Amino acid sequence: MSAGLAQTPTGRMALPLTVNGRAVHVEAEPRQHLGDVLRDTLTLTGTHLGCEHGVCGACTILLDSEPARACLTFAGACAGASVTTIEGLDSDAITGELRAAFNREHALQCGYCTPGMLVAARDLVLRIPEADERRVRIGLSGNLCRCTGYAGIVRAVLSVIAERRARGLGPELQTDRPLGPVGARCGQGSAVALHPQVAVAAVAAPTGTPDLAGPFEPANRFEQVVALSFPPQAVFGLLADIEAIAACLPGAVLTARPADDTVEGGLQVRIGPIAATFRGRAIIARDEAAMSGHVRGVGRDAGGRSSTEGEIRYRVVPGGTPDTARLILDVGYTLTGPLAQFGRPGLVRDLAGRIAGQFGENLDARLAGRSAPAPAPLNPLRLLLGLVRARVAAWLGRS
Amino acid sequence: MKPAPFAWERPASLPALLDRLAEAGGSVKLIAGGQSLGPMLNLRLVEPGLVLDITGVPELREARVEDGTLVLGACVTHADIEDGRVPDTTGGALQRVASAIAYRPVRNRGTVGGSLAHADPAADWVSALTALDAEVEIAGRGRRRRMAVAAFVTGALETALRPGEMLVALRIPPMPTGAAWGYVKHCAKIGEFAHAIAAVRLEPEAGRGRVVIGAVEGPPVLVADARPLFGGRIGPDCAGRFLLSVAHTILREAGLTDPVVRHVHVTVLARAIAQAVPLPAPRVVPEAA
Repeated sequence: MSAGLAQTPTGRMALPLTVNGRAVHVEAEPRQHLGDVLRDTLTLTGTHLGCEHGVCGACTILLDSEPARACLTFAGACAGASVTTIEGLDSDAITGELRAAFNREHALQCGYCTPGMLVAARDLVLRIPEADERRVRIGLSGNLCRCTGYAGIVRAVLSVIAERRARGLGPELQTDRPLGPVGARCGQGSAVALHPQVAVAAVAAPTGTPDLAGPFEPANRFEQVVALSFPPQAVFGLLADIEAIAACLPGAVLTARPADDTVEGGLQVRIGPIAATFRGRAIIARDEAAMSGHVRGVGRDAGGRSSTEGEIRYRVVPGGTPDTARLILDVGYTLTGPLAQFGRPGLVRDLAGRIAGQFGENLDARLAGRSAPAPAPLNPLRLLLGLVRARVAAWLGRS
Repeated sequence: MKPAPFAWERPASLPALLDRLAEAGGSVKLIAGGQSLGPMLNLRLVEPGLVLDITGVPELREARVEDGTLVLGACVTHADIEDGRVPDTTGGALQRVASAIAYRPVRNRGTVGGSLAHADPAADWVSALTALDAEVEIAGRGRRRRMAVAAFVTGALETALRPGEMLVALRIPPMPTGAAWGYVKHCAKIGEFAHAIAAVRLEPEAGRGRVVIGAVEGPPVLVADARPLFGGRIGPDCAGRFLLSVAHTILREAGLTDPVVRHVHVTVLARAIAQAVPLPAPRVVPEAA
């Protein structure tokens, strides 16, 4: 498409940039973020990487003269952009004043946050010359410092603002800035194909079988009620049939039943663009007299990076009208790994609500003698089933 | 913390973009500023085969006023609104919301369309644009449609977009004459995702009001006719007649079972109402006479 962004045979792209005033042409994969391009390709290691998901602010740089997160700016998104790193601010007057003030006020200790902090502080000084302590603190809230407690940093920034105010200097704003994300050039197309994948290494099997008998204190807990149009006895009876439950639970597959009270299988969940497939095992208990039960399980996602442990206590009670029932689920779970880092309990709760709604409909359909609604034409579960079978085989082979 | 490999395409026109979106097989994700998708890619929670960058399309980077309605292209950033680079027909309401989203470096790249299409319940625009009765403009190959933001967000990270469709613009009606706007969000740390959001648009003279309680578990709770929250009547004095119990009932019916969570939401709502229609200054009574 565009001449400036010819596709290279390796799935990399030619990336023209102006870095600290100098035109450079580097090669990068579209997925590489600007922080890695600057550090690894151009050896500009003054840009620090902390969290790499936009929270810590250590990688803050100037993109077309405006502060932006280098870790959230992919190479594919910023061809042609002008980049200024902390190295490029050596001779910048305001950064010079800030450096002197940071020294004077002991505004750094380990210095890891300082490059990003200086870029953010420079933006504040230029954009909000009337800033008071509160506004400076708000303005720096996107840059984490774990050494100073911010007191020295805030004093340093306020002193530079006060000096500039005393000299009668007003705000400096870019007036000709086009609408849209900084660094992203309008009207320029490009295309970079995916490099043919090298064989993906097999995911290591989870190490050891988690203990499902020990005590468990879930980090999150919620209650979910499913209304059903059949009497409690019929509902509770159906819940004894593990295969039926798995068939009614959207995204669930059952792969093995090594013992009467133990099942193995997987659950595929989707939260917006996130699709995670948890595989693991669960232990089931029932109390016929109380029409209640207990399921306790552990699972790990396909990449083996996120894991979850959970328990569901359920009881079946009469519904509001005769011959109807309510299934009350008390769900407790703990999620660890990247999914937990991103996810918030509310998102899981909303997902659980949707799954429970479908589960209820499917249970009703099954009780009415109808088969549960056919799954979507392209069945990801079939694929999942294959994966889980392989995993179970691996477990059995090891034991 | 590095994304899985993906192909990257950056169409230069809307028809080319919609063609690619319709034709591309496998998993495709649209990206604008990348401030929501970026973290998910870096954490490898999302591993698309193709990322379609929509920021090269000029039409998506425009803002205009059409018969009083503000039309914002999907790629207009929070900072564009904060800095007043787009027209304002809402009496500063949009500007106030925009300037408190995340952090300045995020606002410089994060877009209003991207935020809404991502549909995080805790995102500001999801609640604010619902309260402002805004519409989204959706395009697919050879077709366009509009719908209310309130109908567009269907769940946590779920929208009414169909395969092959994308959000191209937002249509924000002008703030009605005499309307009072209140917007309060509660964050434990500045810039983080909100734990509670309240957006209110009250028209004391017309006796109308629209209230949104956001950052709940699913789509924001919209009270399109807010009169019951004030005992059936909205007037200049309505902040003093705000009924906490009605707000609790509405939230309970919306599925918020935890009384502590409800309390936070109701408190934030009371603050937004007080911001929109301030109570007369309370008489100062000395503590010890």
